[in-house]
Amino acid sequence: MSSLTLTPTNALASALNSSRSSVAIAVLDGLSIAHVAARKGQSAALAARVKELFGVTLSQTPRIATGSNVSFVWAGPDQWLAMARADTNPDFERDLRGKLEGLASVADQTDARALATVRGPNARHVLAKGVPIDLHPKAFPAGSAAITHASHIGVLMWLSEADDTFTLACPRSYASSFWNWLTESAVEFSPAVGE
Amino acid sequence: MRISCPYCGERSLDEYLYIGDATVTRPDPAGANAQADFYKYAYERTNPAGAHKELWYHSAGCHAWLVVERDTRTHEISSVETAKDVALKRNVAKGGA
Repeated sequence: MSSLTLTPTNALASALNSSRSSVAIAVLDGLSIAHVAARKGQSAALAARVKELFGVTLSQTPRIATGSNVSFVWAGPDQWLAMARADTNPDFERDLRGKLEGLASVADQTDARALATVRGPNARHVLAKGVPIDLHPKAFPAGSAAITHASHIGVLMWLSEADDTFTLACPRSYASSFWNWLTESAVEFSPAVGE
Repeated sequence: MRISCPYCGERSLDEYLYIGDATVTRPDPAGANAQADFYKYAYERTNPAGAHKELWYHSAGCHAWLVVERDTRTHEISSVETAKDVALKRNVAKGGA
């Protein structure tokens, strides 16, 4: 009969492990952003053009649709925020405006929004301190988007389809207040804060 | 009080602004009785204790204008439609575009 070996475990070990960097917050930079609003009666034609150009199906409900080079996040009825990497798409807005001529009004938002990402097991707990909508995976599954507010600051937010990362976009002039709220809300979870 | 936005889903009151009575429509300023009609439109309101149709604006959300039917005594909401759909239906009923 083999002897049983027991390893002592500190009663608080799990508490320490679960709180250490259980949330990561980072600034999301380097994106070209454009607001796209369908012209009157052109919604279907716009969706067809976007599908043809980028292989992305524009969502008519609050969701994000991600293609290989560009993402379209729902930003209101018949409106979307289009995003692409700035380094490979320096003229994103002008380019998009040309491609969607007659179908949508396109406005540059690159410098108008500040973006931050929140991920990790406690991301929902951090966001729940200021975001008044239900972020439970059943109510806000991967790929969902919402226009709401975070600590009274208007945000457009979405949950990526791929890696359980929340992204929040707030007006540029609110960026420091927003960042202050976000980092303060995460303190209890010892966040990993990136630039 | 929570209002179900047709676009965003159920949201709390702090995302909305109350705009006013949705049962009145702006009269034709070129109509024969324009002055009397505008007086009625601007000042004569029924202020019901019970079901009432109101305009609400989803200001902290998708910016949609909504027509909300609310019981003014209980805050119970029986229907929410976009103001756009209501206006389109009204125009169709009038025989317009």
